[in-house]
Amino acid sequence: MIRTEELLLNVGPQHPSTHGVLRIVVKLDGEVIKEATPVIGYLHRGTEKLAESLNYTQIIPYTDRMDYLSAMTNNYVLCYAVEKMMGIEVPERAQFLRLIVMELQRIASHLVWWGTYLLDLGALSPFLFAFKDREKIVDLFNELCGARLTYNYMRVGGVKWDAPPGWIDKVRDFIPYMEKQLQDYDRLVTGNEIFLNRVKGIGKYDAETAIAWGLSGVNLRCTGVKWDLRKDEPYCIYDRFEFDVPVGKNGDCYDRYLLRIEEIRQSLRILKQAVEQFPSSGETMGKVPRVIRPPEGETYVRIEAPRGELGCHIVSKGKAEPYRLKFRRPSFNNLQMLPKLLVGETMSNLIAILGGVDIVLGEVDC
Amino acid sequence: MKGMIQGLGVTLKTMFSKKVTYAYPDEPLKMPDRFRGIQHFDPDKCIVCNQCARICPTQCITLTGKPNPDPEKKGKVIDTYDINFELCILCDLCTEVCPTEAIVMTNNFELAAYSRDELFKDREWLENNNTNIRQDNNNIGAPQRGGAK
Amino acid sequence: MTKWLEQPLSWENALFFTAMAVVFLLIVLLYVVYAILFERKVLGWMQWRHGPNRLGPWGMFQTVADVLKLLFKEDTIPRKADRALFIIAPALCYAPSFAVLAVIPYTRELYFADLNVAVVYYAALSAISTIAIVLGGWASNNKYSLLGGMRSGAQMISYEVPLVLSIVGTVMMTGSMNLRKIVEAQGDWFWQWNFLPQIIGFGVFLVAAVSELNRSPFDLPEAESELVAGYHTEYSGFRFAFFMLAEYVYMFAIAGLASVLFLGGWRPPAPFLDFIPGIVWMILKMAFVIFFLFWLRATMPRVRIDQLMGFAWKVLLPLAILNVFVTAVGLELFIKG
Repeated sequence: MIRTEELLLNVGPQHPSTHGVLRIVVKLDGEVIKEATPVIGYLHRGTEKLAESLNYTQIIPYTDRMDYLSAMTNNYVLCYAVEKMMGIEVPERAQFLRLIVMELQRIASHLVWWGTYLLDLGALSPFLFAFKDREKIVDLFNELCGARLTYNYMRVGGVKWDAPPGWIDKVRDFIPYMEKQLQDYDRLVTGNEIFLNRVKGIGKYDAETAIAWGLSGVNLRCTGVKWDLRKDEPYCIYDRFEFDVPVGKNGDCYDRYLLRIEEIRQSLRILKQAVEQFPSSGETMGKVPRVIRPPEGETYVRIEAPRGELGCHIVSKGKAEPYRLKFRRPSFNNLQMLPKLLVGETMSNLIAILGGVDIVLGEVDC
Repeated sequence: MKGMIQGLGVTLKTMFSKKVTYAYPDEPLKMPDRFRGIQHFDPDKCIVCNQCARICPTQCITLTGKPNPDPEKKGKVIDTYDINFELCILCDLCTEVCPTEAIVMTNNFELAAYSRDELFKDREWLENNNTNIRQDNNNIGAPQRGGAK
Repeated sequence: MTKWLEQPLSWENALFFTAMAVVFLLIVLLYVVYAILFERKVLGWMQWRHGPNRLGPWGMFQTVADVLKLLFKEDTIPRKADRALFIIAPALCYAPSFAVLAVIPYTRELYFADLNVAVVYYAALSAISTIAIVLGGWASNNKYSLLGGMRSGAQMISYEVPLVLSIVGTVMMTGSMNLRKIVEAQGDWFWQWNFLPQIIGFGVFLVAAVSELNRSPFDLPEAESELVAGYHTEYSGFRFAFFMLAEYVYMFAIAGLASVLFLGGWRPPAPFLDFIPGIVWMILKMAFVIFFLFWLRATMPRVRIDQLMGFAWKVLLPLAILNVFVTAVGLELFIKG
């Protein structure tokens, strides 16, 4: 008597394509997924709880380790929140430096995504192409703040280091270089028919669903919702620059892919303007009290991180340490939709959809 | 077909391009001056103010002072100074708060060891780690000279 | 070889054949060692890297060290695995891959079997490896292995059909299934070789061959980003080495087959280049085909399993059949008429 059984398969926590330590328990019927449950928490370090016993400067290195592919935006959101609470004025030059590093970071982060996503889909070379170019950005950061991954660059009220001599010129040179590399990327991957077949129409959802699930960033914009905090709720000095917010139409993996590539182009466009307008001199640190004690109360700020809307909620009791610190991590929210997206798909599509969401487990588990 | 052939062209072009990898273990990597490597500790400069131990987000620095052996002078001198590199995240905050630049970053970064015990570095080791010391210790960004409260 | 093969079987030439087989096995092993090195070098170059360069000049001994490591590794068999099948599978996978090499003529004189059904022999034997992969995947008692093995079964059976059909055109042009005769029938100049009149057949053959080899972009049975390592997830040490060996020997076989069927075998591209021995041309052509496989691997993403099957049955098979018809019509109109 032949009977068929569902296959219960643990994808992860040790699996080549879960980008860290995500575990997805899938029920398979042949290769078709009947049910998928993401299990998270393998990288949980209790950042938010730890922060309650640290002062604000000490929390900054911890934010580096949340979304470790985009440490600069994480630095920023904390500093921004504290500055907003205390009403600290950030000097012009520091603002520019912050903006430049954040945009470079966005490019670096999207590059890693591009490489690993293609690696998930089975193409080996794009990964090294992307890392070759990310290396340039990482070197720039290394020169600026002395670290290659966990920068700990921003401080409440400004930035730790002024740009070293010639650094801005190096950023200026990087822009045309990257533009040229992007053409290679397009030729290598974007036109490839196998790739197109793998991603077109995969992991589709509409704008309503995306908003209902609280998706943000590219995952939201791929459905056609034009929502970018850099434009809609300008922070830092984004309102001074011209750039487009690319949106998709179909809400599938292909749109998300195109959007991320296009965002790299837009970031380069912002960088180009920022380098031209960069003030030739000025302070990099605002007037900050010796001990940072935000007044009693709470605040919530949000910025557009490479992965979506990154929020920071501080409840202060007027002490040097926050009473409660909460990060709204875009990866965590974007991941929640996964079980719904995966049902009825095959194992190969699982990888394509999971990769397309662009999660960083350091951020999901926090 | 067209896209695939274009892709093949890109990889073929790359095959004859200059390679970008570093010859790292053969040639040491030259890090920029600001690079945050293993700390160098200068006991003569230390005034045992304990600020580095207080600002450290991971509490990896432990230090003790003793009364100044020279009866003419007041204050303390450093007795023991240990950094546990199992915990240290090289975040640069200790060098940032140090008022006398007794603890500074170097460009050395090779910390790999066979045993965890080897990662516990004491005063002597840190003092002897005196190559490639960072030149520019510009502490403009340091907001909290007072350290944590 | 012709002289020896035509003699009646005696103890003397049985011994000679065994010795030849052993020598050839050693050559093939040497080839595998350097094919792996070459693959890693080419992949490296195409990815802005140098590839292996630590061990020996130009990384020459890297694969040797890797193989030694595999040999010295502990032989692990999962407790819940089907022991007998688990042990048989790697050997069963490797044996036919070496056996198919016998029918490929390397030069006019150098061949190991003058079989008049060589093409059928090749297709029949290489199908045995599929069974071994399915066995290995099933016997491991690992879910990823099982998925990999099943994918492999489906894939290799599907692609066997267009692979064989794509050869039919060549066979019709020559009127023989003997690979030696197929080479003999191709012209002196390179445009007289089979790949031009059989361009559809050649294309179908290449695609189906890459798929039969389980190589990127058709490396679904392994699919490291989806199935960890596919059918050989649980294999390690020497048993894993056998799967690896089989893969590379098949690559050798396919490269040989492609050169013989479509690229004129040992023939030089122009008659005046005749002074260079045929074996050199054969090696060059095989190296080119193998390089092409590496090149594909460096460029292509992986195909999805349903698209893969659809491609075999909906595109390649009709094309292969079309090729048979076109060849038949062409032969009738231009050759006979």
